[in-house]
Order: sequence, then C-alpha cells, then structure tokens
Amino acid sequence: MRSQLDACLSAVNEILLGKEQQVRLALACLLARGHLLIEDLPGMGKTTLSQALAKVLGLSFQRIQFTSDLLPGDILGTSVFDKDTGQFVFHQGPIFAELVLADEINRATPKSQSALLEAMEEGQVTIEGATRALPDPFFVIATQNPVSQGGTFALPESQLDRFLMRLSLGYPAKAAEKALLMGDARRNLLPRLAPILDHAQLALLQDEVPKVRVSDALVDYVLRLVEATRTQPQFAWGLSPRASLALLAAARAWALLEGREYVIPEDVQAVLPSVVGHRLRERADPAGHSGGTLVQWLLREVAAI
Amino acid sequence: MIQGLQSRWNRWLARRIPPAKNLRLSQRQIFIIPSRVGAMFILALILMLLAAINYQNSLAYGLTFLLGSVFIVAILHTYLNLSGLMLKSGPAEPVFVGEHARFNVRLESERRAHEAIVLGWPSQGMLQLDVAALSGSDAELGLPATSRGWLRPGRVRVESRFPLGILVAWSWVDLDLQLLVYPRPVEGDLPIGAGLGDDPQEQGARAHGSGADDFQGLRAYQPSDSKRRLHWKAYSRGLGLLVKDFTALSGRDISLDFSALASDTEARLSLLCYWVLQLSERQQPFSLALPGVYIGVDSGEQHRDRCLRALTLFGSSFAEPGAPA
Amino acid sequence: MNKPQSIPRVSLTWLLIAQLLVIIPHLGHLPLWVVGLWLGCAAWRVQIYRMRARFPNAWLKGALMLAAGIGVFVSRGSLVGLDAGVVLLIAAFVLKLVEVRTRRDALVLIFLGFFTVVTAYLFDDSMLSAIFSLLPVSALLAAMIGLQQSTLATRPWATAKLAGSLLLQALPLMLLLFLFFPRMGPLWSLPGANAKGVTGLSDSMAPADIAELSQSSELAFRASFEGQPPPRNQLYWRALTLDRFDGRRWSQSGFARLPLQPSWRKQGEPINYQIVMQPSARPWLFSLDVAQTSLEGTRMMSDFRLQRKQPVDRSLLYNLTSWPQALLEPAASTETLRRALQLPDGGDPRSRAWARQLKQQYPQDEQLVQAVLRNFNRQPFHYTLRPKAVGVNSIDDFLFETRSGFCAHYAGSMTFVLRAAGIPARVVAGYQGGELNPSGNYLQVRQFDAHAWVEYWQAGKGWLRVDPTFEVAPERIELGLEEAVAGENSFLEKSPFSPLRYRQLAWLNQFRLAWDQVNYDWQRWVLGYQGAQQLELFQRWFGKVDGRWLALCLVGGGAIVLALIALFLFKPWQHQRDQQQRVFRRFERLLARHALVRQPAEGPRDFARRAAQALPGQARQIQQFARAFEAQRYGGQGQSLAILEQHLRALRRALPWRLT
Repeated sequence: MRSQLDACLSAVNEILLGKEQQVRLALACLLARGHLLIEDLPGMGKTTLSQALAKVLGLSFQRIQFTSDLLPGDILGTSVFDKDTGQFVFHQGPIFAELVLADEINRATPKSQSALLEAMEEGQVTIEGATRALPDPFFVIATQNPVSQGGTFALPESQLDRFLMRLSLGYPAKAAEKALLMGDARRNLLPRLAPILDHAQLALLQDEVPKVRVSDALVDYVLRLVEATRTQPQFAWGLSPRASLALLAAARAWALLEGREYVIPEDVQAVLPSVVGHRLRERADPAGHSGGTLVQWLLREVAAI
Repeated sequence: MIQGLQSRWNRWLARRIPPAKNLRLSQRQIFIIPSRVGAMFILALILMLLAAINYQNSLAYGLTFLLGSVFIVAILHTYLNLSGLMLKSGPAEPVFVGEHARFNVRLESERRAHEAIVLGWPSQGMLQLDVAALSGSDAELGLPATSRGWLRPGRVRVESRFPLGILVAWSWVDLDLQLLVYPRPVEGDLPIGAGLGDDPQEQGARAHGSGADDFQGLRAYQPSDSKRRLHWKAYSRGLGLLVKDFTALSGRDISLDFSALASDTEARLSLLCYWVLQLSERQQPFSLALPGVYIGVDSGEQHRDRCLRALTLFGSSFAEPGAPA
Repeated sequence: MNKPQSIPRVSLTWLLIAQLLVIIPHLGHLPLWVVGLWLGCAAWRVQIYRMRARFPNAWLKGALMLAAGIGVFVSRGSLVGLDAGVVLLIAAFVLKLVEVRTRRDALVLIFLGFFTVVTAYLFDDSMLSAIFSLLPVSALLAAMIGLQQSTLATRPWATAKLAGSLLLQALPLMLLLFLFFPRMGPLWSLPGANAKGVTGLSDSMAPADIAELSQSSELAFRASFEGQPPPRNQLYWRALTLDRFDGRRWSQSGFARLPLQPSWRKQGEPINYQIVMQPSARPWLFSLDVAQTSLEGTRMMSDFRLQRKQPVDRSLLYNLTSWPQALLEPAASTETLRRALQLPDGGDPRSRAWARQLKQQYPQDEQLVQAVLRNFNRQPFHYTLRPKAVGVNSIDDFLFETRSGFCAHYAGSMTFVLRAAGIPARVVAGYQGGELNPSGNYLQVRQFDAHAWVEYWQAGKGWLRVDPTFEVAPERIELGLEEAVAGENSFLEKSPFSPLRYRQLAWLNQFRLAWDQVNYDWQRWVLGYQGAQQLELFQRWFGKVDGRWLALCLVGGGAIVLALIALFLFKPWQHQRDQQQRVFRRFERLLARHALVRQPAEGPRDFARRAAQALPGQARQIQQFARAFEAQRYGGQGQSLAILEQHLRALRRALPWRLT
C-alpha cells in the first residue's frame, strides 16, 4: 500500500515540478474524503495537478469552467425530450465524474456555486425530483482566482467550511521552472501516466485513515489549538467542532502518507495551514484573507507537547 | 492568646501556601470540613439511625447508611471540584483613596469543570463563578481603598461547597495581589508665593483664588483638547464644537512643591495630586518636588504616573513592591 | 453567602417532584385531605415562584398548621402514635413547602423529606418499595445540588444525573456499613404501625372465619428447613388452642393466656428450621410441635404455643428447633384438664347422647376416639367450603343432618363429642401444609392453609393430635385445599386473578415461585438482618468474631472502597502522560545545556531532528529517545517509563559533561 502511495506521489511530482508539499496535501485531502479548494493565479498548474491526480488514481475526470452565465443545470445535467422514444431522457452533467475540477468557481453566481457545493456535501444530486447518486469516490477540486475580484462572487465562510483544505500552489522554484522550460510541455506528459491504484485499493486506503491512532495527548494538542482560536483576541471567531474534526482527519491522512500508524503533532502542524487557514479571520481585518498570519501564530505559540 | 494563635496560623499558612502569582490548587492547599449544612445533615442521619434502631427496620438502616456513604463520597467530590483549579492574578489598575480597588483573578481549569467556586474576602462579600472544563473565567475582586500606598489585601479565600453543600473545601491563597492607591485628589489653589506657582488659568500674576474663567477666546475643537473646556453654549447654538482657549504660559513651567504648601502631609499630598491630574489633563508640563524626590519638568501620561507614584509612596519606608511589610 | 439566598428554579422543580415521590408510598394509609393539601401547597408555591401569589404570613401559617393538626386528630383520633405521627409529619412536610423562601428552608424541607422516606419503610418494607424509595432520595439529592448556584445546577437532568452517580458511588460503602455496622436492640419502645386489615387467625373461631380465610391467598409465613422438610401430612403449624365453647364459637379461655410453662419431654430427632412471618397483628408465632426458639421476648404458653411480648406488626424472622415426637404434658394439672372438659350448660342433646353411648360402648379412650373418627369416615360426610346452614344446635345439625363442612366443623364437633364423653380435648388452630418452592427449598404457607384440628389428653401420653378432616378429605392434608375442593370450584373464588388459581400455567407458576423466592430472600437477608442474624452470618463465614473485628472490617473495607472510588474519580492513569512529559522535560533540560532550547510549539520529532543536526555525535541517542517518546505518547505503544529513562541515560552518557 505504502509503496503505491509513494508511487502515486512521485508520478504526480514528475508532472508538477517542485510542488511535493502541495501534491502530498492534495492526496491527503483525497484520502480523508475531503474536497480541495485551490486559490491561485491562472497558469500555476491547477488543472495539471487535478488531471495528474485523476490519472494516477484511476478516476474519471471532468472539468467545469465556471462563468457568470453558468446555470445549475449545466453542472448537474438536464432532461431532454427524446423524439424517438417520446420520453424525457436525463443527460448527466459534468458533475457525474469521480474527480471534478470546478475551475474559477468564484466567477459563477451563488446559485450555481451552491448547486455544486450541495452535491459535494451530500454525495448525491436531486434533479427534477429524482435523486441520483454521485459516483464513489467523488472528489472536487475547486479553484478560485484571488486577484481578479471584479464581478466575482467570493465563496462565503459557510461554503468555505465545506472544503477540507485550501491550498495555494505558488510560483515554482527557480530550478523547477528551469526544468519546466527546458523539458516537454507538461500536459503532453499526462497521457503517458498510467493509473497506479484502482477503485478498490483507493477505497481500502480511505478506510485506513480513520484507523490511524490518535492518542489523548494529541487530542489535547488539537484542543489547545482550537481553544486558542476561541479565546485569543486577535481571532474574529474560533474554530468550529467541524473544523477540529477536519483537522484530525487530515492529520490522520497525512500520517498515513508518512507511513505511520499514529498521529504526531508534526502531522497536525503540517496540515494546519491548509485545513484552518480558510476558516479563520483576523479581528482587525474583517474582510481580508489573513488566516495565514493567524495560523503562523498558532504554529508558533501553541504548546505542542 | 488568640492573637498568638492567629499569628502562628498565619506563619504556618505562609509556609504551606507561599505567595505566588499563579497557583494550582492541590491537596497541599485544600482543606475540607463539613459545613453547617453538613452538621444538620449528620444530625438528620443520627435521627434516622435512632429510628432504624428503635424500629429494628433494616430499610431505615439502609437509607441511613446510604446517605452516610453519600456524605463520605461527597468529600471526594467536593475536594475534586477544587483541586486542579489554576488561579492566576492579573494586572490591577491603580486607584485613588476612596475608590474601589479592583483585582483581577483568572481561574483556569486544566481538566475538569469546576462548579460554583466562591472567591474573595469574607468581609467584602464573596464572588461566585463557574469554570468550564479546559477553559477559564475572570473574577474581579473589589476592595475599598482607604489609605494611600500599596494596597495588599493579603490572602484570598477560595472555597467550594459543590455538589451537595454539606462540605466546604477551601483554601487561603496568596496570589501576591497588590496595587497602588494614590492620594485622594482634593481641589484647592496653589499658594501664590509658592515658587513659580501660577494659576495657569489666569493670565499674569493676579490675586489667587479668583477662579474666574477668563479666557482668551474660542477656537475650533481639536481631538486632543480637553472636553472640560468645550464651549457647550456655543455648541447648542449650532456654532460647532468650540473650546475656550487659554493662552499657555509659555516659558513658565509650573513647579509643584511640597514644601511650599502649608498644612499636614496628607492634605498637601492630596492637593498636589489634584494638580498633577489637572495639569496632566491640560497637557502642561510641570515638575514635582517632594522632600528627597525631584521629578523634572515633563508632561504626558508616563510623567503623570511617575508623579502620582512618588506622591503615593511618599514617606513610606519602602518605595518598591516586593519588600516585606 | 451571608444574605439568605433564594431558591433556584431547578431546585424548586426537584423539590416538587421529590415531594410527590416521597408521598406516593404513603398514599395507602394517608387520609385523602393530605393529598389535597399537597396539591394546594404545590400550586401555591409555583404561583409564588411565578410572582402571582405571596408567601403566607405568620398568622396564616399558624392557622394552617393548627388546621392540619385538627385534621390529623379528626381522621386519626389522636396526635400520638405512629400512624398519627406520620400523617402529622407529612402534613408538616407539605406545609413547609409554601414557606420555603431561602436555601435554609429548602434544606429543612429536604431533611424532612429524608425522614419521611424512612417512615414509609415502617409501613411497607417490601423490596419494591425499597427500590422505589431510591427515586425520592435521588430527587431530594438533586434538589440539594440544585441549591448550589452553578451552571450545572441550572440543568435539571445534569443535576439528577449527578445525584444518581453520587448514590451509585455510595452504594458499595452503604453495603459495607449495612453488613458490618453493629446492630443493637431498641433503645426505647416506640408505637408501631397499626396492622389494620391484616387477615389471619384470631383468638376465637366460628366456622365462618376459617371459610373466609380460605378465600385469601395472602402469605402467612415462609419456612425453610435444614435438610429435607418433613412430609406434608406432618406439617401441623400450631398457632393457638381454643378451649372454650359457648355453643357457637370456640375461643381462647383466660387461662390459656397465663404464661405457665407446661411440662414436656424431648423425644426423637429434632428439626431445625427458620420462619419468616408476615405481620399478623397478633402476638403468637407459628411452630411445629414442640418448638423452642432463641427469639428474644418470646415464651411458651400453657398450651405450647409460642408467644411474643408485642404483636407481630412487621415481618419477623425466627429460628426454631422442634421435637415432633415430644411428650406434651404427660402429667397435666387438674385445672388444665378441667378446662379441657368445659361444655356449655345445654344444647346439642343428640350429640351428648351419642357421646354417652360411645362411652359405654368403648371404655378405652383411644378406642372411643377411633370410633368417632370412623364415624366421620363411614358416614356420608362431605368436605366443602360451602356448608349448608345449621340451626341453634349447631353440633347436632352438623353431625346428624347436614354432614357438610370443613376443618372447623369437624374439629369443633369432635372436640365437643370427646368432651361430652369425658375425654379432655381442645381445638388447635393453625395452618396445615404449605407449598414447597422447589428452587428455594422452602415452604410458603398462605392464609387458605389455615386449619383446625383436635388434641386430646391421655394420662402418661400427654396431648395427642388427631385430625378428623383427614378422615373426610385426606386430599386436604396430603395435597392441599385446592385439590380438596376441586369438585366445587370454590378455591379462591373471590379472587379470580390470583396467580395461585393459574398454577397449571407452567411459565406463570415458575414466575410466581421465582418472585416469591426473591421476596423471601429479601425478608430473610435484608429485613431480617438484625443482631442475631448478623452474628450468625459472620460466625458462619469467619468463625469467632467480636466488636473489634467488626470495626476493623468496617474501617478496612471502607478504606478500600473509598480508595477505589477515588481512583475512579481522580483517574490517576491520566497522569501517566504527565510522567512521560516529566521525562521529556529532563530530556529538554539536558539538551538546553547545549544551547538547544525547544520552542513551545515545536513537536518532539522536529526538535529531535534539529538537535541531531546540532549534535551529530549524539544524533543516534537523541533520535532513539525521541522515537521511543513518540511511540509511547502518540502511538500508545509500550507504556514504559523505564525504556524512556534508559534512552535518556544513554544520551546523558553520550553527551559531553557540561554545566548549565
């Protein structure tokens, strides 16, 4: 199992150069059955990452480009009248894939956004009264462009909470970018990728995550972190119990990726920025996205032992 | 005799529970005895036992024993409710004589919840609060400030009767609480002959005690201006916020001099205190001279605090906290 | 703290619930107006809480108390005595509710409540009522917790849960106290509960009385034997003798009440057994002939019955030794014999004539007795619980006309005939037989087992037992009443739902017997756990014991139990981690001497990595310690401080020695 996971990681890292940490977090997010939000500028490799992940994990892949005129039906699917049979036939929308890349989600209207987010939450969609189950596994990678804020609808806090992690890929390191420039176009490498895991193996791995041991001492550390967000004055609000559960789940998946049967504080610290960053806000900066500095404060000040 | 016992008890207590800013209650600090309610409870149990004996009734025996056992188990619970509680003394703001001194004490739980914790000085009325598991609560203990100098209220009683009220677990903890009590400011005039003492509200060296608001004129209000000098009448006429302007006596810094005043020490200190506050509010530089202490001309909050501190600790054998009383 | 505090809502709620629960077991014997009073007071108190009514003033309170006192006097006829006392106590308990203003008042009310629960035990000490009483006690404790002004005490269920857990934790200690606390006799005598309406034998017998008893399936007593119980036809439980006949009723003469110890001689094998009697409101105890008991305040009366000083007004356990073959009064006093020959002056001429005729026919007394029994056997006598009516000469009518009846008729008429023939005889009233509970190997004797038989006296042989009923209906003796009256369906005809009527349903019968055994064990081991029983138990378990030993057990056991509870409450194993942490602090101090200080938020692995880089020479030891610590603290593997200590020592040896 372990070796397969490592193989997945290295395969994706072959495509996406110099982003080992982010790739690992994305995989941890998937193993913990969570959804991923990537906030980054265009052209940083969001699509490549999603496609590569889908490829190595053997998942069917769909991309939905969110635009302001996108309707819920464009995501979920619609019934179309079939002249030959005289009946309505349901045409599945792009959401019926195992890995869905929701590109630039903040450009769509809240109505379309929530169609996607509800599907994410429930694992099924209800269209024209009929409930249709989404495939299992079902994994959404949504991207958001942080710069072009004109005419966009930023996801509200309540919706952000539905993503287990928020990542930012960032610029590649110089060496990585040089390799990128010298080598093949990365996307051309994609078709060469072979799936490493099948569905059963992936499900097995996902089932392993809750079994990773979390000791009392570790829970105490998580509690200290959560407690700090609730009592320290610079936090506009504290973390919810859902957030602390998410933190533990992500830390477990991280420990599994590290090949350990138990979680240590370093695991929590590794996933902390991406799990709680989008759930926190600084009191002095009510509008901003300053979760990062708060997370740094947590990583610096809250006793780990 | 009682005095002797008292001091002996205090000495013993000081050894057993030495002063500390932070304190975690444990078996070393906690004492526990039946409360008055507990005595009533025991009395009721004795009556029930008598009934059991006289009627030779096993069930009455049983209930008596059950409640007796509850009493014993309650010892553990009452102790448990207090043990592990963290007490931390917080910063305390200085006050003036006659005001209410307020001490901040933070109670924190390390593991379990602590219910109905009573904190304070029995003579001042106690404060009750709960501490939820793994969290903290803040208590503000009040005490009238009656005399100038360091106010050290001494040991704080912390007790708990939870859950049944039949036992009281308590401790006298010394959290090293202390704050400065400034002299009571008493309004009055500075003597005309007292060095450079010039009533700043007046232009020139006029007869003292006139107190008339002889102002130069009005000017627009600026955020740094004292609200006392707002010209409310003008404001009510819709002329906007104006302040009465007094020309500062430029170049003539005011000196507050203890020896230039004539009355007893406390009255002099009170008057000086008043002026320190007045001048600071007007942001006028001044200097303070006390026998043995001289604080040069300055203004601002730090300066004010330094002066107040000097006034407060004037004449006391120690100047800084921490020295034994 | 100093000023009186008002009562929190949750406490008031629990007080109201507790009052209801406290009063429920008393409902059976309370006058109805007390219930009305409670409803009124509860409504009033709630209205006070809602600020819709006022507290009563001193006058009103006095008037209410006076009215309650008068009410008790009117309904109970007295203000003293247990019955009236309890009603008064409950009335006070109820009235106090209205004036409960401060915490102090509430506490008084709660303590009154505990006391009222105790008084309920004096009326009903069954297991169910004991279990039920845990409810009011929990509610009262919850009210006590509610008086504490804490956030927890504002949530009713949390409060009740805490009260329940307190009770649960107190249970082991309570059992210990119950076992080892020395029992003593009553310090002074107190009025007992009125055992009104208790069915049972009385000290006079008209045939109708026994017929009435035979309709009752109520328990009279239970008996357990050491070893096998005697055969059923030997189970004649003597209660008392009836030696006076007035033409209609048999009754106990004044002479029989005199405490004259009759002479008797032990013979044959003794039987040891134990009886737990239900309250009978009568002073006599039941026993097989001839019995001795160690029970205090009990003596044998002139007719071999055992009698206690006070009536049995609550269930009573006593141990007996009987000699079934003993000689009873082989040389009786003339006074005794004279009484055993008493007959009314006139009436029943045919019976007297028959007696005279028999006397002539059989000069030997024993032959005469056999002849009378034979007569019952041969003539068409009929055993029935619905005898035909008899006239003024009841014996004549029964013997020669109706010839239908049950034990009382047979025993009465035979005694009459024997006396008329000059043989001293008397009626013995008691119980016969009993139902064996096979699982518990004990007998249950019920009211319908009430029986009457005859004993006559022979010089040198003493009193001899004969049972004329046996001649008529041997199945009554061999099998029991149900079979004896099987033909006429009169068994328990007035209680159609009594489980005894459905003995043929196997599962129901099993359940009934099992339930009865639980109750019997309850009576024997809990209710009967008084002085003698306690000592006996200890001697059986531990051999010789004394007071010091008891005290030692109590203190030692108490300490162990308390330690266990403390362990459960304090959970010191949670401190195990603290010890790990202590070792880790030592590790940190050790590295701090080499200028390696762990940041507070730095995890053990990161710190170890940094330290290993800084001290490459000792990297192996540092990593070993960190791995072991991590595995124990987070992996839950091998909780052993020794291993950590060992790694720490290795590291200390590897590091160059340096001062702080």
